[in-house]
Amino acid sequence: MKKLFAVVKREYVQRVRTKFFVIATILGPVLMGAFTVVPALMFGMKSGGPTRVVIIDQTGKLYARVARELQTGRERPSKRETPRPPLQPAVGPGASREQIKQAGRMTEASFVIEEAHLGDRSLEEVKKDLESRIQRHDIDGYVILPPDLLKDGRPEFRARNAADVFTRENVENAIGKAVRSQRLVDAGIKEEAVQQASEPVDLKSVGETGQESKGEAGFFLALGMGIWIYMSVLLYGQVVLGAVIEEKETRIAEILFSSMRSFPLMMGKLIGVSLVALTQMGIWGAAFLAFSAWAAGGSSINLPHVAPIVFVYLGMFFLMGYFIYSTVYAVVGSMVTTTQEGGQLAMPVVLMLVAGFFLSFNIIRNPNSTLAFWASMFPFFAPITMLVRIVTETPPLWQILLSLVIGFATAIGLIWLASRIYRVGMLMTGKKATIPEVMRWIRQS
Amino acid sequence: MDESKPTLVLNHISKTFGDFTAVSDLSLQVKPGRVFGLIGPNGAGKTTTIRMIVNIMVPDTGSIELLGQRMTNALQDRIGYLPEERGLYKKMKVGEQLRFFAELKDVTGKEADARIDKWLAKLQLSDWKEKRTKELSKGMQQKVQFITSVIHDPDLLILDEPFSGLDPVNVDIMKDTILELRNTNKTIILSTHQMEIAEKLCDDVCMINRSHKVLDGKLREIRRSFSRNAVALQFEGDDGLLNDPELVASMRRVGEDLEVLLVPGGNPQTLLKRLVESGVVISKFELVEPTLHDIFIEKVREVA
Repeated sequence: MKKLFAVVKREYVQRVRTKFFVIATILGPVLMGAFTVVPALMFGMKSGGPTRVVIIDQTGKLYARVARELQTGRERPSKRETPRPPLQPAVGPGASREQIKQAGRMTEASFVIEEAHLGDRSLEEVKKDLESRIQRHDIDGYVILPPDLLKDGRPEFRARNAADVFTRENVENAIGKAVRSQRLVDAGIKEEAVQQASEPVDLKSVGETGQESKGEAGFFLALGMGIWIYMSVLLYGQVVLGAVIEEKETRIAEILFSSMRSFPLMMGKLIGVSLVALTQMGIWGAAFLAFSAWAAGGSSINLPHVAPIVFVYLGMFFLMGYFIYSTVYAVVGSMVTTTQEGGQLAMPVVLMLVAGFFLSFNIIRNPNSTLAFWASMFPFFAPITMLVRIVTETPPLWQILLSLVIGFATAIGLIWLASRIYRVGMLMTGKKATIPEVMRWIRQS
Repeated sequence: MDESKPTLVLNHISKTFGDFTAVSDLSLQVKPGRVFGLIGPNGAGKTTTIRMIVNIMVPDTGSIELLGQRMTNALQDRIGYLPEERGLYKKMKVGEQLRFFAELKDVTGKEADARIDKWLAKLQLSDWKEKRTKELSKGMQQKVQFITSVIHDPDLLILDEPFSGLDPVNVDIMKDTILELRNTNKTIILSTHQMEIAEKLCDDVCMINRSHKVLDGKLREIRRSFSRNAVALQFEGDDGLLNDPELVASMRRVGEDLEVLLVPGGNPQTLLKRLVESGVVISKFELVEPTLHDIFIEKVREVA
């Protein structure tokens, strides 16, 4: 036991003191934030100025409406003129989808509309002309509104970049709205009534207690926690892999094994690194609490409310995933000679973690389905899937406990099995071990 | 010395890896207060034997007794081990490193600190205590590694090629330290393929080749029994009498010396007397003891 403690102490002290730990602890939250927000921003961002679109209106009625919808349609029209949001809306990890969308819109360039009249030319000639303008990068696309559009015609949209789904969607919506409004007006309804009728509804979703709940914030929280577990388990698994390979390649293993058995050695190593991870989490947790206290004191940033017990579960399921996957990494480390080889050999197991992550997308939508239940009982998926269930729709306590028991039992079984492979593997050097060899080691030791 | 109880006993131990036999039916006894040489070429099975002694591996057959008990994990703390392939944590400071290895051998607290300081001073490393291990030269790292093997004051010290990579000054420091430990009645196993080193340091030897024991016993007795009745000579004058077939079996030049192998039963004193009588000027006359190297080669040939 004393020896186990010596190993734990060494692993912990040596790692926490490194520059890498300090930097990772500081940069971690920054990177997490960046990973959540930047892709959303990038996706929504349209670089290179406004989209220049030419409209050929063969109905003779719709140009004005479509142009207006395109230019203003993305904000609510008329009476409900809300004050414009600040130019750069605050978007944090907990930002709702609406906020992120808005951020996207802010950076999305607007449309520059131009009307093309056929005059005495044929449609084909005009199209040809416009094509050449597209080629010259004079315009980005054109829309043809056919004469029968108000009945059953289909408008055409030609864009240089056919993959730009955002622009396509905007154009489609604008035409759709314009056509609907025009049809109503044609049916004799007053313009003003038409405006009122097209006011959107703002759905307020409420939680158990009747308070307004941010469904989208919950979605992002669940996803964020899933990503976090996924990344930390992989990161610290790699740390264990590196440590094991170091001891193997420097032959320290030989001295270690001449002083203690492999089970407490492996246990000590895993516990030591897990304490490093918990220290880091503790620092982040404290920073988060301080930040939310500050945020609660009157800043505009809206952090999702998280029950404290969720953090306890987060820690427990992280540990479960960490012990399961790091044990695999430790075994792999004892079988190979370089970190690269180790990464390859561990891949099939790591894919299980990835699978757990992808399952969580389904589980967020149906947290109480049969699939969700079994996925959160399977120890290789549970660290992510059960946590996602807890955040979205907390399952009965017995399920959480059962999942934890299965997980930790699996971890201990794995560590026991692994320590047998470890002892033999660590003394073999020079070449990668094969699976049949490993099976023999298990039987022999 | 013969009466003292052996520190370590190996009873017919064998170890195979798949088709490969690393150690075959090896028995030996190692006694306290002596340096025991485990010698043989690379790949003879020395390291595997040692790994079984330190309980990293378990023999397939046979048994190992340390201090009169069957080998267990608890007994590991009574052994100090300097492996052939050195291993230290490169980024740890020397002092911390020693502290960790002391703790692994159940030496903790102030006791550990005191011993660390004592040994660092003894091996002239005190100034390096707060340095990271990777900043040390190879020889210094080796001395640090040596300290890890003696920090817990083991009864049995196993040194696998302890001199490789050391400069002459450090070789001497290491030799003195080993002999000092021997004089405090510790048991020392010295594994090496360098016969000259074994010759100078060992009291007993065991030679192994291709997993088999070739011979073992007290070094002095072994050498005596292999004495070949040879004389190393340096002289000036007529060497005619050396051609007497009733006295000299063969001759060969060994450096400056003329090595003369006498006929079986031939008396070196007779040779000396006749040389003096013949009037040559003798500058060297020395009975040649066979080297361990010679003995080893001879034994291996015999077995083959």
